[in-house]
Amino acid sequence: MASVTLHGIGKSFGDTEVLSQVDLEVADREFLVFVGPSGCGKSTLLRIIAGLEEASGGDVLIGGQRVNDRSPRDREIAMVFQDYALYPHMTVEENMSFGLRLRGLPQGEIRARVSQAAGILQIMPLLKRTPRQLSGGQRQRVAIGRAIVRKPKVFLFDEPLSNLDAKLREEMRVEIAKLHQKLRTTVIYVTHDQIEAMTLANRIAILNKGRLQQVGAPEEVFGQPANTFVAGFIGSPTMNFVDGAIEANGTGAIFRAKTLCLNIPGDAAAHGASVILGIRPDHVWVSALEEGQAAQGIVADVEVVELLGSKKNLHLLIGDTRLLASVDASIPVRAGDSVSVRLKTGAIRLFDKASGNRL
Amino acid sequence: MVERRAPNLRGLVIHGLILFACLVCVFPLLRIFSVSLRPGDRIISTDLALIPAGASFAAYGKVLKQTNFLLWLWNSLVITVTTSIIGVSLASTAAYAFSRFRFPGSKLGLALLLGTQMIPAGMLILPLFLMIMRLHLTNTYLGMVIAYSVSSLPFSIWILKGYYDTIPRSLEEAALVDGTDHFGAFLRIVLPLSMPALSIAFLFNFTQAWNEYLVARVILTNSLMYTWPLGLFGLQGQYLTQWGMFSASALLVTIPVLGVFLYSSKWLISGLTLGGVKG
Repeated sequence: MASVTLHGIGKSFGDTEVLSQVDLEVADREFLVFVGPSGCGKSTLLRIIAGLEEASGGDVLIGGQRVNDRSPRDREIAMVFQDYALYPHMTVEENMSFGLRLRGLPQGEIRARVSQAAGILQIMPLLKRTPRQLSGGQRQRVAIGRAIVRKPKVFLFDEPLSNLDAKLREEMRVEIAKLHQKLRTTVIYVTHDQIEAMTLANRIAILNKGRLQQVGAPEEVFGQPANTFVAGFIGSPTMNFVDGAIEANGTGAIFRAKTLCLNIPGDAAAHGASVILGIRPDHVWVSALEEGQAAQGIVADVEVVELLGSKKNLHLLIGDTRLLASVDASIPVRAGDSVSVRLKTGAIRLFDKASGNRL
Repeated sequence: MVERRAPNLRGLVIHGLILFACLVCVFPLLRIFSVSLRPGDRIISTDLALIPAGASFAAYGKVLKQTNFLLWLWNSLVITVTTSIIGVSLASTAAYAFSRFRFPGSKLGLALLLGTQMIPAGMLILPLFLMIMRLHLTNTYLGMVIAYSVSSLPFSIWILKGYYDTIPRSLEEAALVDGTDHFGAFLRIVLPLSMPALSIAFLFNFTQAWNEYLVARVILTNSLMYTWPLGLFGLQGQYLTQWGMFSASALLVTIPVLGVFLYSSKWLISGLTLGGVKG
């Protein structure tokens, strides 16, 4: 077991900077997930930790030891690759024992470790098969098994589930969570799937354009996003953003957009500031307008209704402001209806328009 | 119950054409075999019988007893096997460097290697001879091995580089993480997966060196160092060509090549890397 520390990690390919000044501390036995859109540098960062890529600047420490100059084999890490990377000319057993044989472990111990890992991953009957005789899910299990047998200090997972179908992905997600509970080893996991990140991580590190945007527990990055990027990236459906300004209202404050005016909590310290209001679709409350009944809250037109099973997404139009509401499927609303809309004021997040940072 | 399919015309035509092509390929061999069995007085007979009247293996006996055939064969084997092993070893490592590492001049190097293939073989004979002569390696195995290795190296490098490019790098990276170094990953992962391309490169080197005549003619002047093509040429006299012995020798020299081909064929299978990574 070991902690992983990154100090000012940077990486450039020619003139293209893919990582800039990444500072991060991954605690011993922690499950940290790097998440971000394609090309944000998360896989490059993982490969730098693994030693498969050289950082242009900064230090990588594993267990407090600087490992920049150590080859991957000397970093006591194990890695599960996105494309499994199983050795096609070896059986499952040979694949799993490859690293142990290289390290010259006694045959008895190799057999014991392989059996133990195969038992955990339920791949005992597959040991004599070659990778081409396995399904995608089985190959992924073998790839994980090959990492487990090494008993490394740190596990690195590079989008391990992205090649699996949705159902299998869900199953393997649970398997990986169970595995971490059982092994209690430091895990650094890369994904672009924010559901994977939210369900697996102790902490999530969100990257964009090579820069760390926020590091925190799943609840924290979901509830208290550091900026509009994090707010928009984490959570599905994505957060609503409305441009506007803060105005003083007695001792309180008002958010005023073109076609929207809301009392918001807090003082008017930031009055006059151009801001972006963020509200998650779950926190946009919608009720059908009864005929002849005066509207409570804001009146909106329903443009599109997307039924998702127990929930439905309503695409609302308030003047020229668009909002997405995620509501219970039983609410009787159809496209073209007018509805009453209220926002959960406690869930409103305000961001500075210029920097995008949360106020 | 499996329904028996009626023979279709397209299949019949294709099979007919394949059969015809096979006959065209095999016919000269059968004729050589037939000539090698003929008694001396019927060598230029136009008889088409595969086993001629008065057939005997006398020509084979004469070749083995009255000429240096076995010595020529030994010389050829030593030069060819050494050339093939050295050629494939050099090509496999050079191709790996070209495939996996970016270094100054890598593209130019590949282009130059390809460029050497554009030069007619005849043009290289004189420079090769001069180099070998200045190295005092005429009439030596080493001289022949150097001459043959360098001439087949560019093609082998290109074949192997192309094959390595299809092997996912993540396999080597997995090996690096598992505990090996770059050379170990090359030896344990890349080479075993490249057996089809290595076999092709080996066969190319082998057949090139085995059948080569012109370079050998220039470099080897001592008859004890002759390879079989040079020795065989000696059977062709100004007034009389020993067609029976010539044919018998021609058939005998195909045996090693046939053996190498048959042995290599088990490696010439496609899809060795299937299943290793997500396809």
